[in-house]
Amino acid sequence: MSVTSWLTSKVKNWQIRREMGYPYEESRPEKQIAYVFDINKCIACQTCTVACKTTWTSGKGQEIMFWNNVETKPYGGYPIKWDLNILKSLDGQSWDKEGKYNGKTVFEAAPQGEKVLGWLPEEEDYSYPNIGEDECAETVEKGAFFSGIHKAWMFYLARICNHCTYPACLAACPRKAIYKRKEDGIVLIDQSRCRGYRECVRACPYKKTFFNLVTRISEKCIGCYPLIEKGEQPRCVQTCIGKIRLQGFLSKPDSPRKDNPIDFLVYVKKVALPLYPQFGLEPNVYYVPPIHVPKEFLYQMFGPGVDNAIETYKGAKDDKELLGAFLLFGSTDKIIHSFKVERDYTLGFNDKREMIAKVPLTEPIYVRPYFDKKVGTYRHNIP
Amino acid sequence: MIKRLSLLLLLVGLFLINPHCANVEQNQNIIKSVTVKEVPFKDVSSGIWKKVPVTQVNVIPQNMTLPSLQTPTIQYINVRSVHNDNWIAFLLEWEDKTRDAVVDVNKFTDQVAIQIPLDPKNLPAFMMGNKGGRVHIIHWKAIWQDDIEKGYRDVQTLHPNYWVDLYFFSEPMIYAEGEFPLQPTTVDYFITPEALNYIPGAYARNPISIFHRTQPVEEAMAEGFGTFTTQPKQNATGWGRWEKGVWKVIIARPIVTDDPNDAPISGKTYIAFAVWNGSDKNVGARKHYAPWVELVVEK
Ligand code: SF4
Ligand code: SF4
Repeated sequence: MSVTSWLTSKVKNWQIRREMGYPYEESRPEKQIAYVFDINKCIACQTCTVACKTTWTSGKGQEIMFWNNVETKPYGGYPIKWDLNILKSLDGQSWDKEGKYNGKTVFEAAPQGEKVLGWLPEEEDYSYPNIGEDECAETVEKGAFFSGIHKAWMFYLARICNHCTYPACLAACPRKAIYKRKEDGIVLIDQSRCRGYRECVRACPYKKTFFNLVTRISEKCIGCYPLIEKGEQPRCVQTCIGKIRLQGFLSKPDSPRKDNPIDFLVYVKKVALPLYPQFGLEPNVYYVPPIHVPKEFLYQMFGPGVDNAIETYKGAKDDKELLGAFLLFGSTDKIIHSFKVERDYTLGFNDKREMIAKVPLTEPIYVRPYFDKKVGTYRHNIP
Repeated sequence: MIKRLSLLLLLVGLFLINPHCANVEQNQNIIKSVTVKEVPFKDVSSGIWKKVPVTQVNVIPQNMTLPSLQTPTIQYINVRSVHNDNWIAFLLEWEDKTRDAVVDVNKFTDQVAIQIPLDPKNLPAFMMGNKGGRVHIIHWKAIWQDDIEKGYRDVQTLHPNYWVDLYFFSEPMIYAEGEFPLQPTTVDYFITPEALNYIPGAYARNPISIFHRTQPVEEAMAEGFGTFTTQPKQNATGWGRWEKGVWKVIIARPIVTDDPNDAPISGKTYIAFAVWNGSDKNVGARKHYAPWVELVVEK
């Protein structure tokens, strides 16, 4: 069977601005789970990783499994070289001036006999989840610490399953054990149907399906669907110390809603970008790119929208609405469906239009006396 | 001269490939099941097998659906069959330099399977059957053989030094007071529903995730690619031995069963084969196969 005949459908991928081949027809869910991660704010505290681990993957057979991981770029990666390996085999990833991708997706680049261009990690590749932690791209020149801004860079990349619109894991599964839920777009592996062939582990370019050594079948991030069904954001989002995360639902690309904070950041302001859009999966975790990292690195990672995203982000302090959208991050455990900025506050609403978050655009400043007469003591450095 | 030399080389080659060449039935398209008194269920070297004709069934890499197998590592299976009034058994032998009976992210187990049509008069597609054309599959896995003989192949089988401070709800208590915490190294520590909650495949009763197996074979039915379904009633048996680079596996089943999902065996039917080489990362559709071969059950 030739590769082209396998990709029986032409589907629209808005992130690469063109049609592409896929084995199933375009069938966007009623709602699509989506996240925005602001990389600039992540401190790699790994609270998200641990929250996920203790909730879902602390069982026997899941020892090396991190559905959520946070790695230091440029050198870190879990599993090791997950990105470098696929980037290397997916040759020539060029974009034209209009932002259309000219290279091949992992589906279009599938070699003879395969459904998807992929690779299978070794067990050891999962054994160093924090390799390269805090390592800079280069050493800091002598004295540069004191002279102001230096060139050395690194950043933290928090990663979960992207609940892709065109999942490679789903496409590769010969048993159709992987499905994408109509109601929220969450991608799941049916634990009673999987037979452990690991075609999904091989195919997912983000390496976000995992093999369980004890059950001998595959598992992946379930988007905390029991919480989503209750109108709550996932554990990794709720617990995020840096308040870098917002989970909501992304509207279909042809009908963005300006008052939906996810739509607003992704479609309207285009300040949050998909990770490796050139793979062709239409991933649904959107990243605000780190502003101090060399552009070449970011173009490769987030595509041609990087310049606009960084510029827009830098202007957030003067853009009340954008600031308002960003301030909703970490403001509530509930899922925010819409928001508006009213006077000096940003307000978040659930799907019933009830207010669930209210955040001031500027934190109020309280000046308290140096000597507190009431308790008879001096105050030092207390905000 | 050159022609003659190459013919000679070809003949030499054939003998090298097939050490059992002398006994092999010339007709590859028929397997005769011979009547015997006792059917050997576990003894792969039983004298009974020696008296039975061998059919060499050539296998080829799966090339009909994606993913496919690009390069074969197994050339043929030698098949023998015996039966009595109650049971029919097959001895399957093939060369495989490595014994692969563990799994890991990138480790795969050796396997073999036989397939018989439910309706031999309307022969379904030889690869997993087709819609309305059901096949009955009996599938043996090396790792299941070891699960039974040596205990469940666990994390520590592969990685003896794996250490985890705490697995939730494992029993019996592993943190007895004043004692160094014990590692719950076998699945037997995970028995309560709470503990199984953290072992999702077992919780969902996936047939792949059974900790206490009684047979290294699984009986299944299929009607086309991707439809492999474990039969509710399991009545087949199996046993495998690997020695000096050769797997010998017995697969047996009752000749007459009351299971409507079992293929009938009487007089003439057909049998197809599939075989997987774990060290070459064969799994699922990445397999070798042989299409329908006539199976004649002696009266
Ligand atoms: S909890 Fe938030 S800040 Fe901490 S590592 Fe995770 S994403 Fe980054
Ligand atoms: S990120 Fe990987 S595992 Fe998640 S939906 Fe996409 S292809 Fe599947």
